[in-house]
Amino acid sequence: MKKLPTPTALATSMLLALFATTPVAADETCNSPYLSTLIKGQEDFVHVWTLGVKGMGDESDKLVTVDVNPKSKDYGKVVHTLSVGGRGEAHHGGFTDDRRYLWAGRLDDNKIFVFDIGSNPGKPRLVRTIVDFADRTGFVGPHTFYALPGRMLVQGLSNTQDHGGRTGMAVYNNKGEFVAKYDMPTGAHNGVAADGYGYDIGINPQKNALLTSSFTGWNNYMMDFGKLVQDAEAMKRFGNTMVMWNLKAMKPEKVMSVPGSPLEIRWSLKAGDNWAITATALTSKLVLVKQDAAGEWQARAVADVGDPSTIPLPVDISITADAKGLWVNTFMDGKARYFDLTNPEAPVQTYEKVIGRQVNMVSQSWDGKRVYFTSSLLGNWDKRGADDEQFLKLYHWDGKALTEQFAIDFYKLNLGRAHHMKFSARTDTRASVEDAPRVASMRQ
Amino acid sequence: MTSRRCCWRRPIAELGLLGALLCSSAAAPAQAPRAAQAASIAVPLGLPPLPYPAHNPPTAAKIELGRKLFFDRRLSFNGTMSCAMCHVPEQGFTSNELRTPVGNEGASVRRNAPTLLDVAYHPRLFHDGRDGALETQVWGPLLAPDEMANPSIGHVLDHLRALPDYAGRFEAAFAGRSASADTVGEALASFERTLLSGDSRFDRYRYAGAPDALSAEEKLGYAVFTGKGRCATCHLIGERSALFSDFRYHNTGIGWLRDQPARQVEIELAPGVSAPMNAATLRSIGAPPRSDLGRFEITRDPADRWAFKTPMLRDVARTAPYMHDGSLPTLEAVVEFYDRGGGGAPEQSPLIAPLGLSAAERAALVAFLRALDGRNRIDGNLQCEGNNRPSPDAHRNWVRGQTAGQCDGFEG
Repeated sequence: MKKLPTPTALATSMLLALFATTPVAADETCNSPYLSTLIKGQEDFVHVWTLGVKGMGDESDKLVTVDVNPKSKDYGKVVHTLSVGGRGEAHHGGFTDDRRYLWAGRLDDNKIFVFDIGSNPGKPRLVRTIVDFADRTGFVGPHTFYALPGRMLVQGLSNTQDHGGRTGMAVYNNKGEFVAKYDMPTGAHNGVAADGYGYDIGINPQKNALLTSSFTGWNNYMMDFGKLVQDAEAMKRFGNTMVMWNLKAMKPEKVMSVPGSPLEIRWSLKAGDNWAITATALTSKLVLVKQDAAGEWQARAVADVGDPSTIPLPVDISITADAKGLWVNTFMDGKARYFDLTNPEAPVQTYEKVIGRQVNMVSQSWDGKRVYFTSSLLGNWDKRGADDEQFLKLYHWDGKALTEQFAIDFYKLNLGRAHHMKFSARTDTRASVEDAPRVASMRQ
Repeated sequence: MTSRRCCWRRPIAELGLLGALLCSSAAAPAQAPRAAQAASIAVPLGLPPLPYPAHNPPTAAKIELGRKLFFDRRLSFNGTMSCAMCHVPEQGFTSNELRTPVGNEGASVRRNAPTLLDVAYHPRLFHDGRDGALETQVWGPLLAPDEMANPSIGHVLDHLRALPDYAGRFEAAFAGRSASADTVGEALASFERTLLSGDSRFDRYRYAGAPDALSAEEKLGYAVFTGKGRCATCHLIGERSALFSDFRYHNTGIGWLRDQPARQVEIELAPGVSAPMNAATLRSIGAPPRSDLGRFEITRDPADRWAFKTPMLRDVARTAPYMHDGSLPTLEAVVEFYDRGGGGAPEQSPLIAPLGLSAAERAALVAFLRALDGRNRIDGNLQCEGNNRPSPDAHRNWVRGQTAGQCDGFEG
């Protein structure tokens, strides 16, 4: 039997890898900083990790590829679908560091699918299915896939013991072999009760900082949303913390109280900046995580998103490359809201537009001119009846208004619920690091 | 499927004559076939002799195999659910975190997961009593589309037969019989019969002559329970043991309340932060609740509409939330519900009427209910004969499926 590296050995190897890797950045702004290639300008395809729906088409989760190059004859059309079989709560995905492979997870049955995107971005291939996540780790719900040099860091949401919120992170190598696991902290940490919950991962290599957020366990994210909000006990089982880890040591250093389930994490990509921002789903706050004068990480709410008393439910966020703007989607009212982040201590909403009757994910191109939206939050949280619109929409953003370019009705095409988006480009249009000095400078 | 219960009330003590005791390696014939070894399950103070059907006497091998099945998530269609995911050992073999369970692909299960503690004593299973034996009951959740969602019995059996870690296990436990609808049920039932809880402070007070086992307030609560509160009318207490149930079906009004139109709800968004959500919004984000007519769904007798089985009360403080739909979160809420006369349903049981309890009496009643926590649940039921006691880590190991080594002679 192959001997697995210890967590300490893993941390050491990660450290070596971090310093051996040229600082680079992603195309769209939410990707891991360890991606090795960029998209120069126009992306060619958007891959949508889509939930199968019972009674619709083949009822299976699938990777849907849409041609988004306006010069293409297939612009705005679905050009490829790849069913993976059955429904398992398809959710998020992330590229490996070489950007050739897309790992996409299912929160219910814990399968992780590895798609070859690099060989032919217009026709992804399923090359591997990882099925040992729960057995290896005791965690359930592989959510965030965050590239490390030669490896993939996977954040879980739940556990195999009680389907509650206690969970942890797992590291796999790029071959899909399990390497190590890390429990989310529990117990008292300097007066803050660590809940052990997880959700997103964000790394700032220059600060040796790994930041995690917290959502809820399988019991809740799989539950009918209307039933959930009426179950007072279940509603107590949402994360109320963020954790700052020492990246090299993979040790939690500080647990911060952030009530109301902090979700997506976006670090400022601006050189010299020392902050990240998140939104709390339940309490509708933007929360800034920043070092104080003493170098201590602090989290504090800096703005409301809409009227928190109406529970707008902030979901995905997307930060601009210059860290001066932030898109925040609110699921319940279907709005995309733009915040001026010039002063991250006091964000100000400057624009909003209804995208649909429900909206979840938002992804923008590096230049911020193209903004994509999808609709599905979770299979059993999406709205019912006519409000259950399922789409991919592209808008152009001129700094003042969003203008719709195309909309694809995923139900009309018998595809399912549109969730996470990832961009790709044909190899002849993908840029090297050297071709993007602006991007590289942001990571130094 | 087997459903033989001719000797259902046969006490397990009689079985001790059949073979070696579960945990007494010294007493067990060294070469005795595993399948022939009878289990010695210690019945805690306050419980009657353990019943079991004549065709399925408990043995160590069957119990251990049942335990393995109970915790095995592969028994659900998509590999996500085991019995223990809804009947969580550390949450009193129910789920304290949910009103009603979440099943296959997030399906909403209608009824609260009942605790499995002392389930051996239930003459009929489920809140509506639709099954009369643990051996057959287990197939309900395994096949229910909104629970473990297996498409057929044969599918489950084919799956088990293909799993290497089950190779030979059924044959060893059942004298050569392989995995079948019967043996799967018998193994799971054998394990579930070990989930005993008794020897509470109430038991010591009532059955062991320990007058100081209950506090003054708890004694007052006991008096209310058996007197003014009329709880003992349905939650029976016997001369030598107490199961706290008449195992009959009553319409308390709670089912009727459930069918009332949804109202605005106050949602706790974070500790100390809440906001209202109106009925229209609730309808937009959730499926309408399914109706639940209780025992009537089995008997089709109008008198059984909205009637549900009286639950046992042992370890009741550890098995929240309460009622068949988990709609009452605390013991205080339950006492208040009955004190005001139930849900007020038009055809509510005449046994449910306003009680007129004082605040002190309500508090005492809750205190008494908390005194029903068993002292020897989970690990005590696996105790061994003689000096072979479970190790201090037996509970955790047992929960994790590592029974080997928890006491002599109990290796799987």
